Formats: sequence, structure tokens, C-alpha cells
Amino acid sequence: MSTPAVTASANAREAGSVRTVLRWAVPVAVLLLVVPWIVPPYTAILLTYGLVMAIGALGFNLLLGYTGLLSFGHSAYFGVGAYVVALMVKYLGVGSMELFLFGAIIGSVIVTAVFGWVCVRYTRIFFSILTLALSQVLWSLAFKFFWVTGGTDGLRVPTPSLLVGLVTGQGDKTDFMSHAYYHYVLVVFFAAVALMWVIVNSPFGKALQAIRDNETRAEFVGVQIWRYRFVAFLVSGVFTGLAGALWVPLNGLTTPDIIHWSFSGEIVFMTVLGGFRSFAGPIVGAVVFNYLKTYAVGYTVYWQLLLGAVLVALVLSLPTGIVGTAGRLAARWKKVS
Amino acid sequence: MAGEVNRRDFLSTLGVSVGAALTASAGSVIPSVGVAHAQDKPKGNIPDTPYKIGHMTFFTGPAAVLGEPMYKGQLLAAEEINAAGGLLGKRKIEILKADEAAGTDANVKELRRLKLSEKIDFFCGITSSGNTPALGPVAEELKCLTIFVDGCTDFLWDKAVPNPHYIFRITNMQSADGVTCAVAVAQTWPKIRKVAHIHPDYSYGRNAFDHFGIVMKKLLPHTEVVSEGWPKLGTTDFSSHITKAISSKPDLVVSSVWGGDYVAMYKQALRYGMFQKAKFASMIAFGVAPHAIGKDHPEGVIAGVHSNYHFTYPDGDRWPYNKSFVEKYHKRFNEYPNFQAEGGYTATYILKTAIEKANHLTGGWPEDDAVIAMLEGQMIAGPAGYVYIRPDNHQGYKDAVTGFSKNVADYPFPILDPARIITIPIRNITAPPGWPKGEPTSTYTWIDKTWPVAKV
Repeated sequence: MSTPAVTASANAREAGSVRTVLRWAVPVAVLLLVVPWIVPPYTAILLTYGLVMAIGALGFNLLLGYTGLLSFGHSAYFGVGAYVVALMVKYLGVGSMELFLFGAIIGSVIVTAVFGWVCVRYTRIFFSILTLALSQVLWSLAFKFFWVTGGTDGLRVPTPSLLVGLVTGQGDKTDFMSHAYYHYVLVVFFAAVALMWVIVNSPFGKALQAIRDNETRAEFVGVQIWRYRFVAFLVSGVFTGLAGALWVPLNGLTTPDIIHWSFSGEIVFMTVLGGFRSFAGPIVGAVVFNYLKTYAVGYTVYWQLLLGAVLVALVLSLPTGIVGTAGRLAARWKKVS
Repeated sequence: MAGEVNRRDFLSTLGVSVGAALTASAGSVIPSVGVAHAQDKPKGNIPDTPYKIGHMTFFTGPAAVLGEPMYKGQLLAAEEINAAGGLLGKRKIEILKADEAAGTDANVKELRRLKLSEKIDFFCGITSSGNTPALGPVAEELKCLTIFVDGCTDFLWDKAVPNPHYIFRITNMQSADGVTCAVAVAQTWPKIRKVAHIHPDYSYGRNAFDHFGIVMKKLLPHTEVVSEGWPKLGTTDFSSHITKAISSKPDLVVSSVWGGDYVAMYKQALRYGMFQKAKFASMIAFGVAPHAIGKDHPEGVIAGVHSNYHFTYPDGDRWPYNKSFVEKYHKRFNEYPNFQAEGGYTATYILKTAIEKANHLTGGWPEDDAVIAMLEGQMIAGPAGYVYIRPDNHQGYKDAVTGFSKNVADYPFPILDPARIITIPIRNITAPPGWPKGEPTSTYTWIDKTWPVAKV
């Protein structure tokens, strides 16, 4: 039972935390908005990749960080988003990004509903293995049904038109990618972040965290665990599917690589890198991982070794990820000063 | 052409020759690889900034044993050109390496990074036919002058980039691989009836399977496919595929498994006695770096070289370009070149030739468009023979080569039997310019529609 006084203080705390968040979020948002004019086009394109993956990792973390379920099959939903777009191009001749996003959401809702229905009955390693197995099923479908999916050649996706045809990518593609498309992705990213923020801070999000922390107690309180996990799975998959749809025009091609479990591994890597215990962790992790991998591949043929070493170092010395560690350092600095 | 003809007559119209002599002699107008001959003085002002080449191939994984030599081929050419002062005597070549094993998605990003951030002048390399359809359109978008060494899928020009401007490809079209292998089989073992296939499960394997099949339908119509095995690319265990093939009691096993995968496969096939139980023909067995194959490799099998090049052919005194290339390559890297090394080397020289010609016309450092105009229709005498870049599809064409494995005292690994090299003029086995795009490839429909069915 909450007394009015307690509610009032909770409200005040809430307002305070919103204010802290905005103090961070607004300057970052403004900076992100002006990025294409201050950095070279390549950096902007790379950041676009990072933002796209951030949406996917944010979705993934709803399961890992907030519900305590480690999915090793998120490549499947990313792939569904990407392949829905590619198949819309191939069979329906669609070229509008809004229709792509709509199609990808519908597609990933269907697939995550089916997969989620199977997976959320289990937890821990059983859940992880099941999600991995199901994603591999999708991978082999994309791989084997080459007359539909193009097999390893994949499917090409031309430059889409944005905002119901108001912006087309007919001119220089690099320019399109680093400006119009960057901003498009950024807006979707803002919307995704805001939506996820609302979700994790809603009673629904709190219930998920209760399930994560103590399943039995949560059940006693009256939380319908199965249903909550299922909805979390659905939301998580759709976010990742949305990322897949936004990613295809950047890559220009979708291949079974992105449905392979090793790509799921990358999504896990990003989230752990940024820190799965914090809201911003997966966002930071996705952006940083994207730069890390790109430059590792570019500068050394031992890039796999380098990424492996980073992962080991991360787990051993920074278990809370970049954001968690930064937060701790900031707190210590505050105490000292 | 329709109706039935005698197989032997038809093979001779294809110009298939064994232990072939060279058909033409080099005229003075055809440029060649190497920098030994006197160069025209470049016209106009040439900057002395380095000429940056981005080179992407497999530096890691089982594909590296086939792919990495293309980097060495290019490096050798670059060092020769630099030793003579650089491109147009001024611009030294600088090569930036990138690992193709990072996956298609990372490769696309890496090409963008090379062009936009490292500001490369030229992009080269690529082994896997899964990667050219991804990178080709990106190179076009970036307006990045490119010569793919391999990644030879027909799909690139048939579908992914039907009207290329900035991108070219130097080694033979993939369809030539299956066709060459099948023609060699029809000529060598016309009495076979049952054929078993083992191909890597991706576009190259299917392409090899399709084109082998269509030629069989025409030249040996009485043959039937008794078994198909599709091991995953990069696998190391072929037992189930080998035993499946053997249990179908074939007269012939055909395979397009390549690189480190092939090395693993033939060693396992030896244990099962596959080579005693059936004849064996491969599109690309000897495509790997030659030293990767051991003396335990069976002799007398058709050991393809991706229909492109084996370092023992054309042999030394008849074709000095090859002799000097092999000697220089061996001296530099202490190993022998494969077809990729030849491709990387020739690609660099065909680029150099085009730059020189363009400079001759325009003066100064030529624009990419001028270089492209020169590359289109360019012919060059390389180690493998003449290579011609067809203007309409930017694809390099050279006569196809295959042969039979043989151990000789001169080398610590088997080579192609010098007495039984099979060469086929490329125009006789690939679709001509203007042939409509087809399913699965233009060459497939061209063979299907124009080759006669041979009488048994």
C-alpha cells in the first residue's frame, strides 16, 4: 500500500531521474543531428550502421538485461527484417522505406510470435539453445531455398525512396547514405529509444525485472510469467527486425550470413561490450563494436584474434561493460571531489 | 544448330586441343606484362603521390591457400613497377591489404572505408563468388575503379551489375569451369555412364554442377547423375559425401570443392579408395597454391585449374612471359604461383597499360574514365596467354585450360601432365556478346540452344 506521501516522493524521484536523463540525452541528440556536417561521409555512414545495430541491441537487451533471458538467436529476427525487405523488392517491386519498415514489422511479429511461443517456456541454457537452433533453421532455409532467397548470392536491395517518395536516392549514393539516410535512421533510432525507455520504465518493464530477479516471488505477486516473457520476446524480436530492415539499404544486399548464429554472437558481444545492466549500454556497445570490428578488419589480418582478446579482457576486467564502468568511475570522481 | 552430330567431330569444332601448341604469335601491338621493354615517356605533368591499391582476398581460413596468392601476384607486379619508377614513371604503388574472410557485410564496409577514408585509387582482389555480387554494386556507387581478380560468378554481370562502368574482372567466367571440365571428360572418358557429384553448397558449386550437366546432356547424353553431395563451404569432414558417392557405384566422380577444403577431401577420399573405384574429374583441384597438394594425390585424374592457368603451361621457351613470371615469383616468395597469382599479376599490368595509353592520349595523370575507356577491349599477353577484356561486360577472357595430375621429379608436388594439357578457345565455350541474359546463366542457355546433341 502506498501512502500519498510515498507516491509524491516517488513522483519527485521519477521527475528527477527524467531530468538527469534529459540533461544527457538532449546534447547527445543534438550532436547526432549535426554529425553529417562535421565529419567525413564515411564516418557518418559507419555511424549509421552503429545506430541501426543499436536499435537491434536495444531490443536484444530487453530480454537479456531486463528479463534475464540470453537469446542466441537474434540473428533470426534481424534476418527476417532484412529478407522481408529484399523479398518485397523482388516480388512486389516495392521501393519505399516506409513500406519496408511496415513489412519488416509485420514479418518479425509473425516469426517472433511463433519462435517465442516455443522458446519462452524454457529459461537459462535451454532457452539459449532453443533460440540458437531456431535461428539456424531460418539460416538453412535462406541458404538452401536459393531460387527464392538467392542462396549465398543473396538478394539485392536498391536504394529506397524515403518519406513516401519525397527523397529519392537517385544521385550520389554516398551523399544519400551519409545525409538523408543517416537522418532517417536517426529519427527511427530516437523513436525506438524513447519507446524502449517507456517500456522498461512502465509497470510491464518493472514486472520483467521482477521476473529476472526472482521468478518464484514474481509469480506469487501475481505476474503471469509466461505471458510477460512472451510479450518481451515479441517486442525484442520486432526491434531487432526493424534494425534488419534499416540495415539492408546500407549493405545493398542481404545474405544468409546475417542469420547465422555467429551474427547472434555479435549482437551478444555488442550488448556485453556496452553493458547489459544499463539502458544505454547496448546503444554504446553497438556503436563501439561497429567501429572496433571495422577498424580491426581494416588494419590487421589477425582481426579475429583482436576481437577475441577484447572480449576476454571485457569479461575479466569490465563485467559491467563500458557504460557500467564509466558510471562507476563518474560516481567515484564525484565522491572524491 | 540442331540435330545430332558425331561427338568427335563436334569436339574438334570446339577447338579442343591436347598438348596444344600456341595458335598465334605475339604481334608488336599487343602489350604484355613486365617492364623490361622500353617505355614511352609519359606526357604532361605526373604527380608523385603514391597510387593506392586496396587489395582484398582471403588471408585467413581454408580459402587462403587458394586466395592469398593473388595478393602476392599483385605485390610482385607492384614491386617491379615501383623499381622502374612507378606508374608513368612517377607514382609508386602502395597496397593496402584487407581480409575477405571477415564476411560480406564487413567486406562492404571495408570497401567503403578504403575508398572514402583511405582514398584508394584502385580496388583489386576478391576470391569468393559470393563477394563480387555484394562488392560490385558498392564499387559502382563509390565510383571506384576496380578489377576483381576472381569471384568469377556469371551472376555478377548477368544480374548484379548488368551494365558495369567502374568494375572489371580478369579471370575466366565461372561457367567456363564446368564446361571445360565436362568437355575434358567427354573427350577422355566417353564411355562413362554413371556420374556422382560432390560440390560445395553455394553458388559456385551449383554453377559448376549446372554447366557440367548441360554439356553432358549435349556430348554424352547417355550419362546419368547417380548421386549428389553438397558439403558446406569450409567444412573439413567429407566422409559422408565420399561414402555416399562411392555407394552409388559411379564411373566418374565430379567435384568443384576447392582450396583447403579440397586438400581435406582428397586425403579423406584416398582412405576410402575413391580414386580406385571411379574416375575423378575436378574443376579446380589444382587451383590452390601448388605446394598445398601432396605427392599422395592420385595421378591421371582431371585436375582443373579453374579453367585459367597452371604455372607449367604454356611452357618456358614457347611463352617467355610465363617463364619469367614463374621464375620471379618463385624467387620472391619461394613457392610457385597459382591461377590467382597470375590473375593479380596480370590485372596490375593491364591497369598499367591502360593508364599509359590514356596518358598518351590525354597527357598528365589520366581521369578514371579515360583509363576505363582504354581497359575496355584491351588485350594483354600475360603469363597464361592472351587476356582480352570484353567491352560490353568488362569481363576478361582467355583460353580455358585443364589437364591431368602427374608426379614428376622436378617438383615436390604433382603438376598437370605437360604432354596432355587440354586447352579450349574461350569463345567456343562461353556465350558471345549480345546473347540475352538467361537462367541460370547466359552461357547455360547458349549451350542449351546452340550446341547439337552428339550421337552415341
